[in-house]
Amino acid sequence: MRRSLVLATAAVATLGLLTGCSAEGDGSDTGGKTTLNVAALEGGYGRDMYTQVIQAYESAHPNVDVQLQISKSIEDEITPNMKAGRFPDVVVLGQGRKAALTETLIKDKALEDLTPVLRAKVPGEDKTVGDKLIDGIVGNLNTNPYGDGKTYTMPMYYAPTGLFYNKGLFDKKGWKVPATWDEMFALGETAKKDKISLFTYPTAGYLDSYFFALLADVGGEQFYTDVMTYKQGVWQTPQAKQVLDLTTRLLKYAAPTTVGYANEQDFTKNQQSILDDKALFMPNGTWIVGEMADAPRADGFAWGLTPLPAVTEGGKRYITTSVESVWVPAAAKNKDAAKEFVAYLYSDAAAAIFAKSDAIQPIDGIVSSLTGENAEFYRVYEDPSVSALVGGFAGTAPVEGVDIKGTLFDTANSIISGDKTQEQWQAALNDASEKLRQAGN
Amino acid sequence: MAGPAARRRGSGPFVLACLLPALVLFVLFMIVPTVNVFRMSFYTWSGFSPDMRFVGLDNFVRLLDDTQFVRAFQNTVALLVVVTVVTMGMGLFLAAIMTRQRLRGRTLYRFVLYVPSVLSVVVIAAIFSALYDQENGLINGTLRLLSLDGLRQVWLGDQDIVLWSLAIAMVWQSLGYYMVLYMSGMASIPEEVYEASALDGASAGRQFFAVTLPLIWQNLRTTLTFFVMSAVNLSFVLVRAMTGGGPDGSSEVLLSYMYKQAYTNSSYGYGMAIGVVIFAFSFLVSLLVSRATRREPLQF
Repeated sequence: MRRSLVLATAAVATLGLLTGCSAEGDGSDTGGKTTLNVAALEGGYGRDMYTQVIQAYESAHPNVDVQLQISKSIEDEITPNMKAGRFPDVVVLGQGRKAALTETLIKDKALEDLTPVLRAKVPGEDKTVGDKLIDGIVGNLNTNPYGDGKTYTMPMYYAPTGLFYNKGLFDKKGWKVPATWDEMFALGETAKKDKISLFTYPTAGYLDSYFFALLADVGGEQFYTDVMTYKQGVWQTPQAKQVLDLTTRLLKYAAPTTVGYANEQDFTKNQQSILDDKALFMPNGTWIVGEMADAPRADGFAWGLTPLPAVTEGGKRYITTSVESVWVPAAAKNKDAAKEFVAYLYSDAAAAIFAKSDAIQPIDGIVSSLTGENAEFYRVYEDPSVSALVGGFAGTAPVEGVDIKGTLFDTANSIISGDKTQEQWQAALNDASEKLRQAGN
Repeated sequence: MAGPAARRRGSGPFVLACLLPALVLFVLFMIVPTVNVFRMSFYTWSGFSPDMRFVGLDNFVRLLDDTQFVRAFQNTVALLVVVTVVTMGMGLFLAAIMTRQRLRGRTLYRFVLYVPSVLSVVVIAAIFSALYDQENGLINGTLRLLSLDGLRQVWLGDQDIVLWSLAIAMVWQSLGYYMVLYMSGMASIPEEVYEASALDGASAGRQFFAVTLPLIWQNLRTTLTFFVMSAVNLSFVLVRAMTGGGPDGSSEVLLSYMYKQAYTNSSYGYGMAIGVVIFAFSFLVSLLVSRATRREPLQF
């Protein structure tokens, strides 16, 4: 009797283990109410703005129940479910993250075509989403990753990334922010006499905005697109060589501490060298203000942002614009509800909530309402010789062992330390680009 | 009441039923994933999409041409050898001193040496980041104080040094753990053996090599397997927290490279192929070490 009881208990325990792994209700469409699962990255803007926008959406759409999942490492939280086939309906997550979830889904062609959202009217307003967006923010490789005229990721927030510097130091020394590379290197020599380095970077990964802008500055937008889409032999062109020449020359002026601090643990120390007037410029984004808000700084410090110097006097200058994305997985359950929610994110009401947290959406006319440092940063777009540059390397099928971003950015560490030559750099880039080109076709 | 034979027969299903939950867990969470790693290494797969393509041994052929992989492999082997030799040597030495010499305050030493092995690796990374700081870290700061500026190094930024900086952190972390393991082995050696050898005129050094080492030999062999595992696992966590594999891939180890390929580079199958290599490598090294150190166990 006792034995059979034990047997029964053991059997129940075993069954319980098995069912425990599989049981989970998918609570969509319960009682006529649609449940919309939204996953968002908790970035520097915080999480309050999302809860507020969702509240506003739910009160306007009483038959939709929006479930928000938000985290600083949202990829780790949603991927296990995604591998099991349970996809969120809307995801707010840009490219360039370590886990590369957005890139992976792009490579997999697993995103929903959002071109219809551009033509859809913003809920409760007369304009379409496409009408409200600023020029040039869609239609690039960031939003149309396959270059086929279809939009798969919608631009959510945008921010200029360029060279950040201490305006106070330039005023005090009477220096002019260099407009050309010749002026840049001349300033490097001047600053050297004051024991200030011309350049530093937090980690080599921050060189992305630098390289994208420089590629376009040197060779124009077509050349930039050629590099991003791995055109054959593009890294052997004179333009590519000029990009690497300028960079190698600039890296000679890098602060001596740069490489030693260029890791996850210490990168803020490289950022601190700008605040301490030990280095003049570093590539970064507008989040730097909040990130270093509590750090000590030199007297009269004020953040400034400039595009890269022009290659020739009066030449066109590009400013790499980082764009956070919102997208809908192709395997999502409630795609229509998801698309309507995405359209709502561009409404005036939502934009006002986002802007309060400094999350600036690419909507016409929003910049004029900015104040403080943000007003200063977004002013770079007003210079007629400066254009926004969006995008990044085109998505291809994954190529084992080839990481062109790593090859382009991380090698800077080896150039500074002298472990690699510029020729090796160029050859490695050509090799990686060629392998990716073959995978793309 | 049933006889002994009947009881033995009857307890079979009972034992089985008791084992079943554990067995299910073991199969589900150990056997199935391991088999899956091997299976996935023959495919290219991004990790999400339904389209998996069988490519046979292609992933392994690619590995041979992948200079980053070769570098990561070399780094892992270097760490394995250096950390094992240094930690084992120092661990044995310290354990012998602690058990054989009546050292004052040895409980305190034991405690202090053991503390690092209970710290989380992230804490260790933070400690060593403060130690290694090139400007005002403890090491470079002390060197400057002693006017030895020529010896100052960029510990985490110099591609020739960074691996050794990691090795030092690994030794520091695991030394106490192995020391305690060896001490427990040494403590069980009867005092008479030492007395007898002392009467025969053996010095402390002779005693160590002729009495202590042979008698804790089995203990030593077990720890060698631990060393292989920790060199692979611990190095990954430390690299992730301290250098991220940098500068420019010079401190990449096998597991960190596997992570990069499987996730950041969306080449899940390729990552799993690296996993298979790690599996085979640790298995082979453990087997070789175990074979090479096999001795007739000594009894006392």
